[in-house]
Amino acid sequence: MIDQMESAAKGSDFDLYFGPAHSGSGNFGVKLKINGEQVVSAVSDPGYLHRGFEKLMEYRVPIQNAVISDRLCVLEALNWNLLHAEAVDELMGIDIPERAKYIRVIVAELSRIQSHIIWFGVLSIGIGFDTGFKLAFGYRDYILDLFEMITGGRVYPTGYICPGGVRRDLPDGAEEKILQVLDKIEEMIDLEELENPVFKARLKGLAVLTLYDAIRLGATGPVIRASGMKTDVRKDEPYEVYDRFDFEIPVRYEGDAYARFLIGVEEMKQSIKIIKQALRDLPDGPVIDKKLKKPRPKGKIPKGEVYVRNEVSRGEGAFYMISDGSGMPYRCKIRGPSFLHMIPVLESLLKGVQIADVPAVYWSLNICPADLDR
Amino acid sequence: MASKEEVFLEKVSSKFEVEGKIQRERRIWLSTDKVNLIPLCTWLKGEGFIHLSALSVTDWLEEGKYEVTYHLWSYEDRILVTVKTKIDRENPVIDSVVSLWDANAQAHEREMHELFGIKFEGNPNLTPLFLENWEGPPPFRKDFNWREYVKEKYYHKDDDTERVYYD
Repeated sequence: MIDQMESAAKGSDFDLYFGPAHSGSGNFGVKLKINGEQVVSAVSDPGYLHRGFEKLMEYRVPIQNAVISDRLCVLEALNWNLLHAEAVDELMGIDIPERAKYIRVIVAELSRIQSHIIWFGVLSIGIGFDTGFKLAFGYRDYILDLFEMITGGRVYPTGYICPGGVRRDLPDGAEEKILQVLDKIEEMIDLEELENPVFKARLKGLAVLTLYDAIRLGATGPVIRASGMKTDVRKDEPYEVYDRFDFEIPVRYEGDAYARFLIGVEEMKQSIKIIKQALRDLPDGPVIDKKLKKPRPKGKIPKGEVYVRNEVSRGEGAFYMISDGSGMPYRCKIRGPSFLHMIPVLESLLKGVQIADVPAVYWSLNICPADLDR
Repeated sequence: MASKEEVFLEKVSSKFEVEGKIQRERRIWLSTDKVNLIPLCTWLKGEGFIHLSALSVTDWLEEGKYEVTYHLWSYEDRILVTVKTKIDRENPVIDSVVSLWDANAQAHEREMHELFGIKFEGNPNLTPLFLENWEGPPPFRKDFNWREYVKEKYYHKDDDTERVYYD
């Protein structure tokens, strides 16, 4: 150890393992080659959360798969729930009831906000700003309370957004409660912006991702938007009822970690805007398709294949589902945005940064090991 | 007036031997032969399909084929084109598209090599991503029975607490 430290002081090479047991990394490792204080090269080491969901889904019916889809990313379970339900809906050719579409949008946007709040929290931890973490997780709890009220589960909705609609209607008084929580979240965003000096000092100019590299390495979502590409699946190919709402896609051109942080803050504001519009226009009616009102475990899915894309909070999520006419999908390919953010993008961004900045770079990408490993 | 999907399909059909189908707005499916794959992908990239959204493999066990699918998105046209090509299941070799979609394709091909055992010729790094010290066959193949594998590999018949898995 002492030898190693001495040789490090001289500026020679040594290896450093960031994760998987690091408190700030999640279940994911990065093998770093260090020269002095500087990272020379980084190699991602995924696999600690590989549960083989794509294979598991081939052995289960959609009603069970909806529950599995929660686990695709702990931090934004409802967005993945929605994606799975949309894939099955499209295979079965179901046009779900209007009210269900609005409820789906509301809960998916709430899920996006709480995922972005976590992003803010862990990014704060990554730069040693503990207050930010506590602030974030405190305010996130308001949304978790909403989830408990609407879906029954705080983190995992256990297939609340199911094929054919949603499992149950919003409970009485939910609209007012959602609006109250949104006020709270706005309060938090104001606080976040007050704390900007800390973020500015640590994140400005750090880990710049050029637009050329962002496209080449396959970045999507907030990461590519911070590099200057105006793209968002909600606008590019509107799903559910996103085309009826008025919202902006935040874009920045700096491409550094600070730009990504600002995109996250701006996206929360836009999500609040969407939820308010959805609550205003929320129509009456059933929330689940008549055919699927009672879940039938032995129902058939027609033969076919679909590729469904969604904007999950981390970027572009997609389901490629093939059905051979039985009740279970023949093949399910899940495209998680973190797959590319955590392998090519992270490896290229870490080159040349200081050791102390590694967690900051890591968390500025808004990544989730669960949807990488699947 | 022809939709942008129809215009695109006509253009691609006049240049390459493909079987094309428009599924719905913004979804086009193309099937092609293995030899046409690289010229077709090169042309598609030049047409603006710069984002490789996903690369997937389907195991058609009865047919004895693997189907490799490339899901390509164009930021300009806002169309998703899926290119499908079938290769032999016994000797799964296909040209890599790393020269076109770079590190993005590299990571995807690496994953598919691990899960299905397909060799992507030209990919510089196909080391395993997820599975550590894996000795079994590629796990996502349809003929790989993971229930049997787990039973044989990790449970023992003579162990009183684990005998239940064999009853």
